[in-house]
Amino acid sequence: MKTLKITIAFCMLFWFSGCKDYLDINQDPSNPQVAEGYVVLPPIFSQMVRGEAFDTRYAGSFVQYFGNTAAGNQWDRQGYISGSDAGGEKWRSHYWSIGTNADIIIKDATAKNLWDYSGAAKAIRAWSWQSTTDWHGEMILKQAWEPNRFVFDYDTQEEVYAEVVRLCNDALADFNKPDYAKTLSRGDLVYKGDTDKWIRFVYSILARNAHHLSNKSNYNPDKVIEYVDKSLRNNADNFDVPHAGTNTGDANFYGPLRNNMGSFRPTNYVVGLMDGTVFNKVVDPRMPLMFTASPDGVFRGVAPAAGDPNNVAGNTKRIPNLWGALGVVPTTGKFIFDDKAAHSIVTYMELQFIKAEAAFKKGDKAMAFAAFRNGVGASLDYVKVSATDKATYLASAALPASADLLKLSDIMLQKYIALYGHGSLETWVDMRRYNYDPNVYTGFAIPNPLFPDNSNKTVQRVRPRYNSEYVWNRQALDKLGALLPDYHTLPMWFVKP
Amino acid sequence: MTNLFRHLNWLSLMLFLPFSMLMGQQRIITGIVTDASGNAPVIGATILIVGTSSGTVTDGTGNYSISVQKGQTLRFSYTGFATQEVLVDNQSSVDILLAPEATGLNEVVVTALGVKEEKRKLSYALQEIKGQDLSNTGRDNFLVSLQGRVAGLTMTPTSGQAGSSVSIRLRGPSSIDGNNQPLFVIDGLPVDNRTFNQGGLVSDQPNRTADYQNRVGDINPSDIESVTILKGPEAAALYGIDASSGAIIITTKKGVAGAGKINYDNQFRMEQVYRLPKYNTDFTRGFNGATDPTSLRFFGPRIPDGTQKFDNVNSFFRTGFTQTHNLGFEGGSERVTYRLSSSYTNQNGFVPTNDYRRISVRLSTSAKISKKLEATSTFNYINTTTTSPFRGANGYLLSLLQWPSNDDASVYLNSDGTRRKLIADPSEQDNPFFNVYKNSNTNRTKRSIGNFALIYNPTSWLNVTGRFGLDIYNTLGNQFSHPESILGIAGRGTIETFSESSQLLNGNLLATARKKVGDFSVSFTFGGTIDDRNYEVTSQQGQKLYIPDFNSINNTDPTTQRNKLTITRQRLVSLLGNFEAGYKNLVYLSIRGRNDWSSTLPIENRSFFYPSIGLSFVFSELPAFKGSILSYGKIRGTYSQTGKDAQPYKILPRLVPQTSTGGGFGYDFFGGNPNLKPERTEGYEFGTELKFFGNRLGFDFTYFNNTRYDQIVSQRLSYGTGFIFGLLNGGTFATNGYEATLNITPIQTKKFAWDLTANFTKYTTSVRNLPADQPEFYNSDTWLYDNARASAFVKDLGRFYPGVNLDYNQRGAGTATAIGGYSYLRNNNGQILINPSTGLPVINSNFLPIGNTNPDFTLGLTNVFTIGNFRASFLLDIRKGGDVFNGTERFLFQNGLSTRVTDRTTPYVFNGVLRDGRENTEKPTANTIQVSPATRTDFYTAFPESDFIEKNINWIRLRDVTLGYTFPTAKLEKTKVFRSINIYVTGTDLWLLTNYSGADPNVNGNSATTRGVGAGGFDFGTISLPRTISAGVRVGL
Repeated sequence: MKTLKITIAFCMLFWFSGCKDYLDINQDPSNPQVAEGYVVLPPIFSQMVRGEAFDTRYAGSFVQYFGNTAAGNQWDRQGYISGSDAGGEKWRSHYWSIGTNADIIIKDATAKNLWDYSGAAKAIRAWSWQSTTDWHGEMILKQAWEPNRFVFDYDTQEEVYAEVVRLCNDALADFNKPDYAKTLSRGDLVYKGDTDKWIRFVYSILARNAHHLSNKSNYNPDKVIEYVDKSLRNNADNFDVPHAGTNTGDANFYGPLRNNMGSFRPTNYVVGLMDGTVFNKVVDPRMPLMFTASPDGVFRGVAPAAGDPNNVAGNTKRIPNLWGALGVVPTTGKFIFDDKAAHSIVTYMELQFIKAEAAFKKGDKAMAFAAFRNGVGASLDYVKVSATDKATYLASAALPASADLLKLSDIMLQKYIALYGHGSLETWVDMRRYNYDPNVYTGFAIPNPLFPDNSNKTVQRVRPRYNSEYVWNRQALDKLGALLPDYHTLPMWFVKP
Repeated sequence: MTNLFRHLNWLSLMLFLPFSMLMGQQRIITGIVTDASGNAPVIGATILIVGTSSGTVTDGTGNYSISVQKGQTLRFSYTGFATQEVLVDNQSSVDILLAPEATGLNEVVVTALGVKEEKRKLSYALQEIKGQDLSNTGRDNFLVSLQGRVAGLTMTPTSGQAGSSVSIRLRGPSSIDGNNQPLFVIDGLPVDNRTFNQGGLVSDQPNRTADYQNRVGDINPSDIESVTILKGPEAAALYGIDASSGAIIITTKKGVAGAGKINYDNQFRMEQVYRLPKYNTDFTRGFNGATDPTSLRFFGPRIPDGTQKFDNVNSFFRTGFTQTHNLGFEGGSERVTYRLSSSYTNQNGFVPTNDYRRISVRLSTSAKISKKLEATSTFNYINTTTTSPFRGANGYLLSLLQWPSNDDASVYLNSDGTRRKLIADPSEQDNPFFNVYKNSNTNRTKRSIGNFALIYNPTSWLNVTGRFGLDIYNTLGNQFSHPESILGIAGRGTIETFSESSQLLNGNLLATARKKVGDFSVSFTFGGTIDDRNYEVTSQQGQKLYIPDFNSINNTDPTTQRNKLTITRQRLVSLLGNFEAGYKNLVYLSIRGRNDWSSTLPIENRSFFYPSIGLSFVFSELPAFKGSILSYGKIRGTYSQTGKDAQPYKILPRLVPQTSTGGGFGYDFFGGNPNLKPERTEGYEFGTELKFFGNRLGFDFTYFNNTRYDQIVSQRLSYGTGFIFGLLNGGTFATNGYEATLNITPIQTKKFAWDLTANFTKYTTSVRNLPADQPEFYNSDTWLYDNARASAFVKDLGRFYPGVNLDYNQRGAGTATAIGGYSYLRNNNGQILINPSTGLPVINSNFLPIGNTNPDFTLGLTNVFTIGNFRASFLLDIRKGGDVFNGTERFLFQNGLSTRVTDRTTPYVFNGVLRDGRENTEKPTANTIQVSPATRTDFYTAFPESDFIEKNINWIRLRDVTLGYTFPTAKLEKTKVFRSINIYVTGTDLWLLTNYSGADPNVNGNSATTRGVGAGGFDFGTISLPRTISAGVRVGL
């Protein structure tokens, strides 16, 4: 009986005193719910690439970097797949996989005075706003990541552009804070903690931001040139996200291991820019390093939306895939299409072409010509063209001999080649600024027929992610007109005068 | 010291139980108890020596034997019969005729926390099933046998494979995203009924590629005395929040005082594949009408007449065989009783390699420590092994159907032992034989369940009971995907193992005081419970096998090896009070309240209270009804509230390891919510119980209405939240319906009796609103093939889909049991829009309601015929209405194997209008584009999912039929060896009549672990229940 009484007494005691501690077990022992910045930063880099790389498969079709082996592909015809998340990867990265992970870094860094971490997180977020709004247009800005909010209103692209500037300035302020211990190298796979390079990266975002508005009356080329001059200085400053390439988890999206590019072939347009068709019969030394000839030794590309009619085993005109193989997935790839290849988010060459274009618009042809030559040279280096071939090409008739002879199309076409693959989204920004003008993009042809829903208009934007917005936030889309079948042909704010 | 001695004594009694009963110099009295009205033996009647706790029960033949002394009194009692007493003189045999008790006054059932309650007092509906009826069916998982036997219960088996999980729902899908399985309670304490969640695997699979047994299936059906089903939320007032979807209370067999007994029974069972999808084997592999040796779809020319065809389906399945042996000992003295049972089941399923084995040992003892204190203990050890082939998209069933009929599938290896392939393509579907013989999925569970209780009666009016239970198991799982199989080819062979360990500790302490004052009786119970769960899964995955057939994680490339750890811990404590008052035998009032504290909720919201109130009025006690045909009449009503906590660790979002370069952590898909509140249910039910003509006609009717609100939901939302899923309180579901049970004994004579029981169920779950004011909620596990999934939709969808014609998307709108999927895009007049360039329909790729899986009603009919010593019973399971997504048919259709549209030469013109910009004008362009199925393979992918919803599916199914014969006691007595012998033959699922075109509409695309409504009504690549015949003998010594 005694034991029973003791048990009862113990239970009562327990109830009134121990209950709270007893129930305080709601922290996950197997997965963290808070973390330091250096733990969260490495995956953010790979998520930057993931969004860009996934959506490059569609941007690459729009700008005719590559086309599908099968005829009639929706994207090749500047269309889309209804009811699909295809084209919505930037959206996913921006709001989710970079999204609030960046806030973990900022919060942790602010509490511990780790300003290089918060600067990096803000810079990445600024880049993400910029590249995502250029892809989708209007975005959820003011209400984004707001707790206890389940439907979201969209904000204008102008507001998103302003947010990019604000975040860039915040990031610069953080990096320039005096007297703090720099520890960024621990999680920084890209710049190894070099904040000078991060500052240059921030200026490259500002350069893009200011330069994309080239059609507007308040476009300020001097500001663009100033930003470029403060940004990346050479290829070693490129924002290159590395890939270990040992398994499908850490390999480059474009590489054979991931097997994401098997149905793509270069287009006849890009091959035409390199095999001498456009540039005075000068064969570009980059061509064999970027592309692979058919078995008969001829470099070919597909006509957009027409596919490769020779895509059968044994046909000597069959076009090899971007890994350089015929119809199979090889163990090693080629150029940026390799498992261990780094992915360039922003490059020195792109910025030099931005400077060239800005100076050209300003009327400073000498500055434009110098920047143009820097850009072409950096691109030849990027593709690992030999020094002899580089010198030969730089002196060839493919390029204007002097500043006076420099044309806008020279700048834009060389930029087009330099940004092949990794810069597809930026190339699409350029093409929309010039509305696919065949005088700027010499010989560029819009696919005919376009996708049925286009009503004969070119593609200008990509719909927000289907399983985020079209299923769960439809009413906000309705206000934008995004439920209309030709929403993707609606020009964005940045291209408008 | 005396206490210690007492304990030792008790311990020694437990250890030497089999010997203790040999002591004593008493006489044995034997006899038979029969029903006075029909002369049928009364099985399970209680015989008690008055003034002692010794007693026994009658066996399966109505016979008993008991050891007594001269001058003692035997009391014979049985539910529904008048109790009789007999003084022992010099008789050696006492036969008793029990007369039915007209009023059913003293019928008792097990309700809360192991407490027996007079049924008349209860203000809510419950139903009781005899364990014998369940074990007779011979099913390894006794839950399958519940369908049709209980009004308001819906059972959905995952598949017909041995060791499959079974999903049980009481009164519909109550919670949108929660666990809707009822709580299982054995002898007063909850036990774990988890089905392994594949989220614990490194590969994070969606609970549809392989199956795992739900843990209540471990219970040996032969150990079950009875099962009581508490259907509504008032069960939660008794058992806490885990019972907010009802509770299934299992009472196990206990030893009874008297002479020691040995029981042995066995069962031998054969099973065969019963229903398979119909499919077409007329065409060769090809594309657009031309033979294509690299194609795996059947769109080539017809197979020429005279070509040899192989019956691959019949050569694949085998005749399954199961044997079960149960051996038990029981007995006891006045102070101590015991029962030891052991069971061995070995099942070889009808699908090759599918095996299930169970060994169970169970010991129950009870001891009177003193006059006031009694202790009971039960210990159960269970060991199960399941080997079950993979199912669904890459499982054997679809690959069997897809194997060319002009090729012998049983030749699955080349002469060098490698896989024989049809084409040299890595995406080639497995040969079914290769699939089952070269891959494997094995799970081994060792489980211990203990239950200890101390019952203390310090005075006649006070009872204090304390119980403590533990339920501990460990499962070791292994999935082997052969390097050459479609399942393993990408990783060059994958081995994934896991170790799952679960520990559930729980206890309760209850004090009950009872007093009778004049015509009033009152009782008050106060107590507390505690529930502590620890769950841990570690899994390992490795790929790139060195040796192709060697199944060990050591045989994988170290650079591919990955691990995952999942730990969940949760605790719940509660205090409860229960007040009951009765007036005469006429009116009973009960008021209950319970407060829970859950570890899974934010601190400020972790405490929540929920009350319930009930009234029972036995109006047949009124003088007006005395002597009428109404022998028992009662009306009852209950109002109750319940709460429900969250899953652990949901307040803050979690970071999960990343496999990208540099590793690190990133947020998981699921957002957190620091303001989470408990989920709430408010429900009421009204009912009546009526018995006429001395209980020969009984009727029990219940109307119920449960509203669940503030549900804790992982709702897919805009990524603007920062996550893929937001976590919030929201969504209101209202489930209402009727249950009715009818018992009739149309014939009852001395030699012949016919009992009929009908259980009727009807309910609907309507959606008042969905979380975050969204139009749809779905569970991603159920999105298992193409674009159809189990969804809940609001009624007013037009608000969300402006400009979309929704006239054809109303089926399932406003319900929680809808199928959401793709359908035809239509113009404002409802005409189907046709793509002008292809002639094929335009698909509406919004997920809209295209069906509703909820049946109009279900009906279970049990007939029992007793003819002398023969007993025959039949259970018919009838369902009316409810839609099924025939994903298997869609798969067959898209691969050229369907029996639909087999005439490929006649051109087909889709009835609709062209989507040419004039579709919504006064004169849309009618479609005249001819599509020839023979040359247009895209014709076969042009039909939306809505065309594969089979509507209003009915069935009549012979769930089980049992024929038994009990040897007459008189003959057995002469043998001097046997106390009883019973032989029986049982068949299950022998016959099914349905308007469903596929195999079996009663399958589930997911395993029972899937939350929310689950994938019942989603038929895709799942094998249906087999036909079985079993026979066995039960012997008592």
